[in-house]
Amino acid sequence: MPDVSEEKPDTIQEELKKSVQPKLSDNVAVMEAIMGQSVDVLKRDFMLCGSTDHPGAIYFLDGMADATIVDVVLKSLITYGSERKLDPERLTTADIIRTELMINASVKPVEHIKDAISAMISGDTLVFIDGVEQGMIVSSRGWKDRGVEEPASENNVRGPRDGFTETIRTNTANVRRRIRDPHLRIEPMVIGTRTMTDINIAYIQDLVKPGLVDEVKKRLDGIKIDAILESGYIEELIEDSPLSPFNTVQSTERPDKAASALLEGRVVIFIDNTPVVLIVPTFFWQFIQAPDDYYNRYWVGSFFRIVRYFAFLISLLLPSIYVMLVSFHHEMIPTQLALTIASGREVVPFPVLLEALIMELAFELMREAGLRMPKPIGQAVSIVGSLIIGQAAVQAGLVSPFMVIVVAITGISSFAIPSYSSSLALRMFRFPILLASGTMGLLGFAATFFALLLHALSIRSFGEPYLTPLSPYRPSDQRDMMLRAPMWMLNSRPGFAQDQDRMGHDQMPAPPKKDGSQ
Amino acid sequence: MKRIGYCILLIVLVVPMLTSCMGLRQINELAMVAAVGLDLGEKPGTVRLSAQIIRPADARGQTGAPSGGTGEPIYSITTEGSSIFDAIRNMGQISSRRVYWAHNFLIVMSEQYARKGIDDMVDFFTRNHELRMNTWVAVSADKPEEVISTVTGLEVVPGEAVDRLFRDHRIPGRAPGTNMMSLEESHLSSSTQSVIARVSLQPRGVSNKKPGEHGSIQQVELKGAAAFKESKMVGWLTADDARGVLFFLERLDKGIEVVTCPDSSTDMMTLEFNSAKLKVTPSYTQGSPKFKVRLTTSADIVENGCSQTTEQLRKDAGEGLDQELTKTLEGVIDKAQHKYQSDFLKLGDVFRNKYPTEWKKLKGNWDDAFSEAEITVVVETTVKSGVVKATREGIK
Repeated sequence: MPDVSEEKPDTIQEELKKSVQPKLSDNVAVMEAIMGQSVDVLKRDFMLCGSTDHPGAIYFLDGMADATIVDVVLKSLITYGSERKLDPERLTTADIIRTELMINASVKPVEHIKDAISAMISGDTLVFIDGVEQGMIVSSRGWKDRGVEEPASENNVRGPRDGFTETIRTNTANVRRRIRDPHLRIEPMVIGTRTMTDINIAYIQDLVKPGLVDEVKKRLDGIKIDAILESGYIEELIEDSPLSPFNTVQSTERPDKAASALLEGRVVIFIDNTPVVLIVPTFFWQFIQAPDDYYNRYWVGSFFRIVRYFAFLISLLLPSIYVMLVSFHHEMIPTQLALTIASGREVVPFPVLLEALIMELAFELMREAGLRMPKPIGQAVSIVGSLIIGQAAVQAGLVSPFMVIVVAITGISSFAIPSYSSSLALRMFRFPILLASGTMGLLGFAATFFALLLHALSIRSFGEPYLTPLSPYRPSDQRDMMLRAPMWMLNSRPGFAQDQDRMGHDQMPAPPKKDGSQ
Repeated sequence: MKRIGYCILLIVLVVPMLTSCMGLRQINELAMVAAVGLDLGEKPGTVRLSAQIIRPADARGQTGAPSGGTGEPIYSITTEGSSIFDAIRNMGQISSRRVYWAHNFLIVMSEQYARKGIDDMVDFFTRNHELRMNTWVAVSADKPEEVISTVTGLEVVPGEAVDRLFRDHRIPGRAPGTNMMSLEESHLSSSTQSVIARVSLQPRGVSNKKPGEHGSIQQVELKGAAAFKESKMVGWLTADDARGVLFFLERLDKGIEVVTCPDSSTDMMTLEFNSAKLKVTPSYTQGSPKFKVRLTTSADIVENGCSQTTEQLRKDAGEGLDQELTKTLEGVIDKAQHKYQSDFLKLGDVFRNKYPTEWKKLKGNWDDAFSEAEITVVVETTVKSGVVKATREGIK
């Protein structure tokens, strides 16, 4: 048994190296050797122009190839020639057949079996004709698609509702539709020796920093892996600081985010079979900014951005600050508050640190359970969770009401961060800081926080410092960092983009002057 | 790389053990002191310390968690020791929770204690890291343990009630707001003496159940002050004197004064003065300092019991207020100069700032120089507006 399974790939590898033969029977034999008995590989024999001297065969994958296109292929091969009184004898090369007979948009001659097979597996139709030296690939990809829907993990109120899907071409089209600029380049690549996953690298040629695209390609080329099932595989294999808990590659489901990244001179990596695209280079602040910031008026945009910065700090630090104050620095709490906290804790049997850990874990547990649970019983989690955590635990004297409030605010804050993947990272950071402040007080709190800060300062994303534009400080980029300046002030691109000019200056709208001049 | 990683891991694991959670105390394991009383102990040379400790479970209404039962919001204990710190340590023999001082509102000293000298108290309460410099300080003729264990009406925690009294002390203007910071400052200064607010127990509370018994419940009153010389209390100041002190020490700018009507000695009117400014101008002639105290203020007539119109009253009212305020200021200056011979009005500070070299000469016997100094008081009031009131003859 082991011998057979070991031998088999070898023969397939051998067969794959072959070229397309003029004799149909040779080609059919090779195809059968390679594809075996797979039920979804369909073969359809035909006679070219109805002439029995010229037999041929098409191969396509059931479900991957669009049946109507396959019909058109067969129609043009069998009937169009005889209708137009074409002499089958003249149709000796793939080129002639393509130009004179085929009416499909994309017909490519193919010489190597390997190319032919990979095209067929991708959903194209493969045509072999007896006596023709080359095969032909007719583009017929068409499979059941989820369709463009609202992104599940990144919601907004004002702004486009379309999200990426699992089909790479739909995704690139979604971005292309937003940027009708001939400078937009979308370059193909295939990664995964078995999955042969399509990767597209998109960038705007005159905006992207020189060398960045090469660096991205270099890193992608370096990936030697059998399978890419999701963009996470790629993300982990190309990031700058693989040991860092910070995300140095941004991921999004929103075409408008991807488009804006391209316009900022960044590179977007599309991966087939996943609605999540990757954006590099990435800066920390992007995880706190949301598309709504730009779609709403700048007052609103700036305000909610500040709210999110607070949410970030709260979700990271609030439990630690509470634990630190209540177990070490009682003098830092105002007397009234100290009394209230002390009275709430009067019957709690655990130290604050343990109480905080229990509650935080319970919260994470509920979140995870709510996520994994089949949808119909999802409600049960929230009911049980809120009742147990919010009500019963306090009444039983297991936790103090204050701790419930702290954990709830922390949890809510972590959901206010637009980027789901980075909010996950933040949630994890919370625990080391919590442990340090619960054992070492302010000292531990400050030490871990600064260690985190120093680490964030030290890492880079595709050569760009992670905390840009705060450190290194770029004055012109401050207009779109903590606050979102009005649109008429955002007249330059981020510092690393090539072409800085975005729009004309002095665009602040004003009523016409009295003398009629603008 | 790997070795560095292991080293960091080791440090991370070991460091928390080294701290052994030093200083870790749960907030509900603390006996938070809201007020502290200082008195002389029964044995000579000892200190009696009493503390008002908050019981959080009863000081705060519980919603949700079962509370420790309904009882008194405070727990007052008293101990004796040969020093303040000794007495505090002795508290550990009684208190089940660690006595925690950082939230202390108030320090009350008994008159006897204050007369014996407050060096120890100032030293201890400024030196200890757990104690705050914004703690209010007061002297009482009553027993401090009674003062601090008296439950007040509005606030749940009595210490907090006294804290509020102190915070708003400028509204009645009958006692200085003295805290550890100002006390230490005046205590350590060579050019000024200390003055500390006075609290006392007064039967002012009216029982809801027996309203007939007027003033049957003792309440803490903040009124008057105690004058100090060096570190010893030398005597009391009345509420009027205390207002005078406030003009000097806290630049009191608002207050009310009741003056008699110009045409009658029984009718009264009330004036509210504001934007009062006190300016002390020192001068130095032939070895003796002189001070000119000038108070300018403007006043409104807020309650007019006189039978004249405001317009007629305006001038006389100003004069009446002048007299009252002059009397107040002269009264306290007289007490400082002659009765106690203690410069708690910070006139020495003013003099030193203007005449630093002369100050060096006078420094040694400033108390004598101060008590012999010539101090003139000038009060200037302008009555700007007043209540619109019809005279008894009808509207004119």
